[in-house]
Amino acid sequence: IGRAGAMAAAAMVVTAAGGGDFSDLREIKKQLLNVAERSRERGLQHSGKWAAELAFALEPLPLNELPPPPELTEEDARDLDAYTLAKSYFDLKEYDRAAYFLQGCKSQKAYFLYMYSRYLSGEKKKDDETVDSLGPLEKGQVKNEALRELRVELSKKHKAQELDGFGLYLYGVVLRKLDLVKEAIDVFVEAAHVLPLHWGAWLELCNLITDKEMLKFLSLPDTWMKEFFLAHIYTELQLIEEALQKYQSLIDAGFSKSTYIISQIAVAYHNIRDIDKALSIFNELRKQDPYRIENMDTFSNLLYVRSMKPELSYLAHNLCEIDKYRVETCCVIGNYYSLRSQHEKAALYFQRALKLNPRYLGAWTLMGHEYMEMKNTSAAIQAYRHAIEVNKRDYRAWYGLGQTYEILKMPFYCLYYYRRAHQLRPNDSRMLVALGECYEKLNQLVESKKCYWRAYAVGDVEKMALVKLAKLHEQLNESEQAAQCYIKYIQDIYSCGEVVEHLEVSTAFRYLAQYYFKCKLWDEASACAQKCCAFNDTREEGKALLRQILQLRNQGETSSTDVAAPFFLPASLSANNTPTRRVSPLNLSSVTP
Amino acid sequence: MASVHESLYFNPMLTNGVVHANVFGVRDWVTPHKMALLVLLSELGRAGPQLGLLERRRLNRLLLPLLQGPDMALSRLRKAIEECCPQLAGSVHIRLKLMAEGELKDMEQFFDDLSDSFSGTEPEVHKTSVVGLFLRHMILAYNKLSFSQVYKLYTALQQYFQKDEKKDGADENEMELTNPEELDGKMEKEELDGPLREEEIACSGPLSQKQAEYFLSQQASLLKNDETKALAPASLQKELNNLLKFNPDFAEAHYLSYLNSLRVQDVFSSTHSLLHYFDRLILTGAESKSNGDEGYGRSLRYAALNLAALHCRFGHYQQAELALQEAIRIAQESNDHVCLQHCLSWLYILEQKIFDSCVLLEHSVNKSLHFGLPYLASLGIQSLVQQRAFAGKAANKLMDALKDSDLLHWKHSLSELIDISIAQKTAIWRLYGRSTMALQQAQTLLSMNSLEAVNVGVQQNNTESFAVVLCHLAELHAEQGYFAAASEILKHLKERFPPNSQHAQLWMLFDQKIQFERAMNDGRYHVADSLVAGITALNSIEGVYRKAIVLKAQNQMSEAHKLLQKLLIHCQKIKNTEMVIRVLLSIAELYWRSSCHTIALPVLLQALALAREYSLQYLASETVLNLAFSQLILGIPEQALNILHMAIEPVLAHGAVLDKGCAMFLVAKCQVASAASYTPQKKIEALESAILNLNEAKTYFAKVDCKEQLRDVLYFQARLFHTLGKTQERNKCAMLFRQLHQDLPAHGVPLINAFK
Repeated sequence: IGRAGAMAAAAMVVTAAGGGDFSDLREIKKQLLNVAERSRERGLQHSGKWAAELAFALEPLPLNELPPPPELTEEDARDLDAYTLAKSYFDLKEYDRAAYFLQGCKSQKAYFLYMYSRYLSGEKKKDDETVDSLGPLEKGQVKNEALRELRVELSKKHKAQELDGFGLYLYGVVLRKLDLVKEAIDVFVEAAHVLPLHWGAWLELCNLITDKEMLKFLSLPDTWMKEFFLAHIYTELQLIEEALQKYQSLIDAGFSKSTYIISQIAVAYHNIRDIDKALSIFNELRKQDPYRIENMDTFSNLLYVRSMKPELSYLAHNLCEIDKYRVETCCVIGNYYSLRSQHEKAALYFQRALKLNPRYLGAWTLMGHEYMEMKNTSAAIQAYRHAIEVNKRDYRAWYGLGQTYEILKMPFYCLYYYRRAHQLRPNDSRMLVALGECYEKLNQLVESKKCYWRAYAVGDVEKMALVKLAKLHEQLNESEQAAQCYIKYIQDIYSCGEVVEHLEVSTAFRYLAQYYFKCKLWDEASACAQKCCAFNDTREEGKALLRQILQLRNQGETSSTDVAAPFFLPASLSANNTPTRRVSPLNLSSVTP
Repeated sequence: MASVHESLYFNPMLTNGVVHANVFGVRDWVTPHKMALLVLLSELGRAGPQLGLLERRRLNRLLLPLLQGPDMALSRLRKAIEECCPQLAGSVHIRLKLMAEGELKDMEQFFDDLSDSFSGTEPEVHKTSVVGLFLRHMILAYNKLSFSQVYKLYTALQQYFQKDEKKDGADENEMELTNPEELDGKMEKEELDGPLREEEIACSGPLSQKQAEYFLSQQASLLKNDETKALAPASLQKELNNLLKFNPDFAEAHYLSYLNSLRVQDVFSSTHSLLHYFDRLILTGAESKSNGDEGYGRSLRYAALNLAALHCRFGHYQQAELALQEAIRIAQESNDHVCLQHCLSWLYILEQKIFDSCVLLEHSVNKSLHFGLPYLASLGIQSLVQQRAFAGKAANKLMDALKDSDLLHWKHSLSELIDISIAQKTAIWRLYGRSTMALQQAQTLLSMNSLEAVNVGVQQNNTESFAVVLCHLAELHAEQGYFAAASEILKHLKERFPPNSQHAQLWMLFDQKIQFERAMNDGRYHVADSLVAGITALNSIEGVYRKAIVLKAQNQMSEAHKLLQKLLIHCQKIKNTEMVIRVLLSIAELYWRSSCHTIALPVLLQALALAREYSLQYLASETVLNLAFSQLILGIPEQALNILHMAIEPVLAHGAVLDKGCAMFLVAKCQVASAASYTPQKKIEALESAILNLNEAKTYFAKVDCKEQLRDVLYFQARLFHTLGKTQERNKCAMLFRQLHQDLPAHGVPLINAFK
């Protein structure tokens, strides 16, 4: 009977949910409200919160269209007293007590709460136990003792097909905790089929899927929830373009007010280093949801990168007032101190964040950065290693490790770490530039050139790759290529629009002036030499060169009178065909473990 | 993050074990096993006076390994005690039973009483004795425990005791199956009545610190000494992953995982594990205050050095060189001469791959001696000797050098190097062509007891030197025609060095070489040809040489000649003198097969000069045989006989059976040829002695089953008997010849023209 009831309930929800079909927003809203209520009944706070947030973003429903409260079955009625009592215990975190009173309950809701309480009680005990262990190795080996029993019972129910969507979700969580990843994925997929509206199951799937290939082979239910899932997992897998597209289409479909989507978009922009866009979106988000703490750590990272001290300080104070014992708050404060160069304090706050949640990845990496600032390399290595322990795909930690070893003057050793980082972010120029620098130090100039060129080709953030490449060519006496690189560099700088004081611009002009002078292209040479005069460090040289050119010109006859537009200006750039950025596969001769 | 553990984030007590990683300094924790030991000690103190001298001595010998060793199950402990003193085992069991089945109070009382043994005017235990220290450690550790920890300890003790009881009840005989987790697993399996995953059952209970350390050191030493006895790579990795999952700070496990990945030639995970190990080591090195910054920098240098070694192992020489440069630079900056010496010897190994450079090596040996690094120094001497042997330096000097380094080994008890040195000697004797000496050295190594005093049971028999020696032994046996023995040795090699292990390529090559020789002897050229590919894969030069030999045997002279010329040039370039001489011999053979003896002569003389210069005696005598044959054909048998006297002795003493037969056959031929000019009386004598020599040749050929040569000898003998008028003998030989001739296809080459 239980199974049938569950199926009926699920069927009611699923019917209207067509694949990626957002035409009936009212229906979607009804579903969301329904699932939020049901999640809450089962103590799944976060899934409930997610559904409620999303529902809030949609138009309110008139009274007659509000979904009726879930119907009670005979079994529910029988278990109602026990359930009510246990739920209140559960809310007070007295899990064992809740489980005790729920023993023998047959209804789906009560059964789920029963199992869930047992699971949480096990988890809680496990975490308490770690403090009181006998010996260091045993400490790591404390297990959630309840897991095995739970698995046995749940798998029996699963075999008999008596689990509803929530039950399947719990089963999946238990399997994941036992490191049975494959089985867990299967069960979560099943859970998503049976109850597509439960965000928790989707989220767990996100954590278990490690690459695009795996995603392809999943058979997912064809509902509108799938769109949210895909957008989320694209963000996780660093497929930012696709993720942004998905989110945009969700906004177009009518979820424009959802703070969840807005925050996700901001995070996505943060991931592709589009700092300005991310910042403006975060500011918007804070206007809409001023007491929000989630994702504020990412926001503070952005503020940090832009060195916006007052804004960061304001954010830190604000969050501290809201709740100072939150991981995100600690992280923001850590960033704040770091920006003020008080690295010890910053490290302290990151440590606090880790005490609050040891699985909080970002803090390990940030702590590593702080230790690096304090020149405490061994502590930095430790912190980065921990970050990798938590998440092997954290490219910043790999990059940080590479930097640490680079500081220790071990360029060959750090290659491995940079390569790992590069593998994780193949299109991030910073890793490529770092790799190039290492190869340069090892005197492997061919590899180095490849790296710099590739860094330029994938879109250089710091605009340094071309200069470095040019200097390499200069070293190798490949003046033709060096000049080409400098030209491209100057074009890049000018086409950017913002005339920032770029250090290397003067170097570029000086080299170009010399180059054209050697090639006897007087017009170009004098144009460049004039440009040189605009910079302090090259002024004298520029003037000297101009004089020389004048002399030589007077000796020869002045033939070409029409001075073409300077080649390096954006105008001519648009006229020319822009340099084609062909991205060839980066074939480094070295072995890449 | 909405996962199920979400509500637990705000538990202020929460620690993950990773946050507080530095508890590692504390070594002693009270465990149920240790409590059992404490009980044993206190019982010993109580019953001490009544015990007999013998029992007491046995117990004392038992105690030390127990105190230092890993935790074990109660039943095993009880058995160990029972073997020494049954009544004590009984009383220990009773006391434990009382404690485990009583109350918490009993345990507390027990610990209170423990400290009494130190008090009094005549204390039972000295405070600073081994036992005293252990007792005090335990008391201290117990006093530090919080209430919940004490309670946990007590429940652990109860479980420890109950497991033992349960098993006793379950099955008396099955003492070895002590893993209660397995029982649990089985029960659960029945409950589930569905297939459970293997891993979950195999995932044994938590290891204690000591147990984990013991496990690691045991496996590591097995990997080094006797790989076949260690866990299989996959299961070892699984254990390690298990260990690391629970305690990622256990750096040594990463190193073992690196070694394990090396076993299966997995460059990716071995690099990963190695770097991970050093990352972890760096942090522990920094934490130990005694070493301070020194320890930290030290591990950095060795990290780079190890990376170089890893790349070298996988054949990435350029990478290895870069890593090595880095290690050298850092070591120089911090004035670490010891590390620099290590780097220097690695530099030699790397340079060797590119070009010979004994200058580096000599320098390394000198410096290592200066800094008191006997291991490196004598390793350097070994390499130097090897290199000089190839370069043809005087043999007596080399042997002298080896003797000196042996002195060094025995002085410092470097058992591994002793093995290497003996293997080296075996190889050098083989190179010089003294098979008896080689055989003797090989047997010395095999019958020598290992010096490793620590694990007497575990012999170092997984090292390269053993592989080398056994391979040589197999080949020596095969040469003498003892094929069964050779294949027995190879079978043993296969067991000891499984095909995927590091030194397996050695025996693979030797195995194929032996098979090749046999096939050639039997005249099964197609079989030999099929073996060439395998040999080429393992050693390209050897492969090309064998290919040429097969071609030669199949009468494809011009192809063989082309191949040999190419090989000759190559070998001269890489200065592989041994191969050069062998190639020259083959070329000469090609010439005389095509009846160009005059061209063959200078080639042979060149080979002879080379062989003499490099003191490769056996090759020299073989060259002399060829030379004598050419002279015989050119019609100067007296001269041939003269130089044969020079060569016959070493051939008979050290040669392969086949060579001995050929040599004797040749002598007989020369005798007959030179007898033509003798007086009849002398001629008969000469012919008779030739017949005797032929008989000898026949026995040699029969040993290696060379039917073609046998046939030729028989024919020759029959002719001789005929000349002497001994009809009966002649007929016998003729009949045997006839039998063989029917089995074998006719030979194209006229009889007298064939030497081999």
